[in-house]
Amino acid sequence: MKLDETIALLRQGKHVSEETVFELCLRAQELLMNEANVTHVDTPVTICGDIHGQLHDLLTLFDKSGGVENNKYIFLGDFVDRGFYSLESFLLLLTYKLRYPDRVTMIRGNHETRQITKVYGFYDEIVRKYGNSNVWRYCCEVFDYLSLGAIINGRVFCVHGGLSPDVTTINQIRAIDRKQEVPHEGAMCDLLWSDPDEVSTWSLSPRGAGFLFGKNEVDQFLHTNDFELIARAHQLVMEGYKEMFDGGLVTVWSAPNYCYRCGNVAAVLRIEDTLDRNYMIFEAVPAQDDVGNAIIPSKKPQMDYFL
Amino acid sequence: MDRAIQQTDYDAFSCKICAISKMYLPSSKELEFCGMRGFSELHMAYAQQLKGLNRRAYGKVQTAIRQGQPLMNYGTYLRTLIVDIECKSFLENAANENSKIQILNLGCGSDLRMLFFLNQYPQLTWIDLDFAESVSLKAKILKKNEQFRNTLGEPQGADDTEYISDRYLLKSCNLNHTQKVLDILLESSVPEVPTLVITECVLCYMDLSQSQALIDNVVSFYETGTWVSYDPIGGNEADDRFGAIMQANLWESRQLELPTLMFFNSVEKYAQRFEDETKHTQIETVWQYYIQQIPQEEKNRLKSLQFLDEIEELKLILSHYVHSKSSW
Repeated sequence: MKLDETIALLRQGKHVSEETVFELCLRAQELLMNEANVTHVDTPVTICGDIHGQLHDLLTLFDKSGGVENNKYIFLGDFVDRGFYSLESFLLLLTYKLRYPDRVTMIRGNHETRQITKVYGFYDEIVRKYGNSNVWRYCCEVFDYLSLGAIINGRVFCVHGGLSPDVTTINQIRAIDRKQEVPHEGAMCDLLWSDPDEVSTWSLSPRGAGFLFGKNEVDQFLHTNDFELIARAHQLVMEGYKEMFDGGLVTVWSAPNYCYRCGNVAAVLRIEDTLDRNYMIFEAVPAQDDVGNAIIPSKKPQMDYFL
Repeated sequence: MDRAIQQTDYDAFSCKICAISKMYLPSSKELEFCGMRGFSELHMAYAQQLKGLNRRAYGKVQTAIRQGQPLMNYGTYLRTLIVDIECKSFLENAANENSKIQILNLGCGSDLRMLFFLNQYPQLTWIDLDFAESVSLKAKILKKNEQFRNTLGEPQGADDTEYISDRYLLKSCNLNHTQKVLDILLESSVPEVPTLVITECVLCYMDLSQSQALIDNVVSFYETGTWVSYDPIGGNEADDRFGAIMQANLWESRQLELPTLMFFNSVEKYAQRFEDETKHTQIETVWQYYIQQIPQEEKNRLKSLQFLDEIEELKLILSHYVHSKSSW
């Protein structure tokens, strides 16, 4: 398979054959199978938050942050669901990873599961585009191999959601058997579902999975593992990023105008060799160009407001 | 434009059926406090009749059930609960055995609340007004089903496009024509009888002057009353783009306009629709209602139904819908 041709197709949002997807997923699985639960990455690297199928915004992200040809990226998960181009977004990242294996790290988000993608759009998108669910199954098998976290220069811990009461040290994450559908509870679930909040200790999450954790939990985790920052995604931030707990944790959100209706900007975070943090803010691609031609064609029925 | 507005009824109804199918509705509050027995069965029976009469509307119902978006289910649950509780509270406060009470649902669409409350309060008269197309479809469905007819009272007259019984009146009326509304009220309701007026996603589709004329005239028509309204608000344009994007999305996807979304863009501004020296207005966003009024136990029940993937988004969206109540 010629990866560059597939990349060109995906960037244009064009149809990719079922056979091509099958082969891509198989090769990606072989690559991911050998990755640890927590991978090590060196600076400089750009950390990216939720993408959610917003392919055109993902292209903006690459354009504005230098591109994968010259830069390293860590994606914190939630590649699929909600947006109209989940498949193309996920496959583009996967293809980039195959093409430039040392420049792309992909961490699993809470949407990279069979159960969630059936509710939030990815499954429906595949059935709409292919007439059957085969491609969805291939992608879900890749989801099971995505890593759970990354560590930059031994100092920055990257994860999709947050901390878990079952995880004190990184070795406890290394011990997880990750190659499965995300369970409804336990360490693997919490890493993908938890949120930081102004709480004094572990608290129940309003989402129905994972926990809320506060400054105490963050400080302790940073201290125990000799980290200075937890970089996570998972929560919409209107300003694109939000630092909490005296800079010990940051939320990075990379889906501008989320779901084409939230009006937020997006951000990515570049960690320099000095571990300095540089945020790059970007806006959503408009739905139409100056003369009214659709940039983002949509066949989705509009049910997204209460009317 | 009228057609685009009329179509929103099918969205609202589809969302409600979806919330029922995913067990958000009815809540114990609806079943126990509001006494809305047979909530699911009656709504499903209506949806089944819709299948035979308007395939397109029924298609929307099916799509909504298939998609079953948790965020939409939360919002639909809250908006339904808010208005159900307001109906029940009004009826409980205003009702005593000897005096009559009235409920006027402006832009009623396929709403079925009258079925549950006419049953419980023999002294209640209910008036449903909406566009001719909505009313005629609703009248047909209500007349076809014996259970509906038994509750509403046998329809009088041969006119198939309306439903008129002793206690229930379903009539077509463009709410922009205030005089027409007043004519119907004069003919079918009593100004001295305490009246609850409901506008659920109705005022937002009207022009500023026409919506204000409707409010002012209906309020002056009744001696005492309560007006319960549910609508979106646009937010402050300087630092909040939600409203402008909502206007653009709805215009581009379905030519639907929300003329006053950015005018009544905050709870304070929205309350001005109803404020003068004679009225007392309470208003809150639906997010505030969810946080403050829904007990923890019920919140736990909701989150056990489906995984809610994004609380921040739910907060953002529900903060752009308001529930107001004005009494005079």
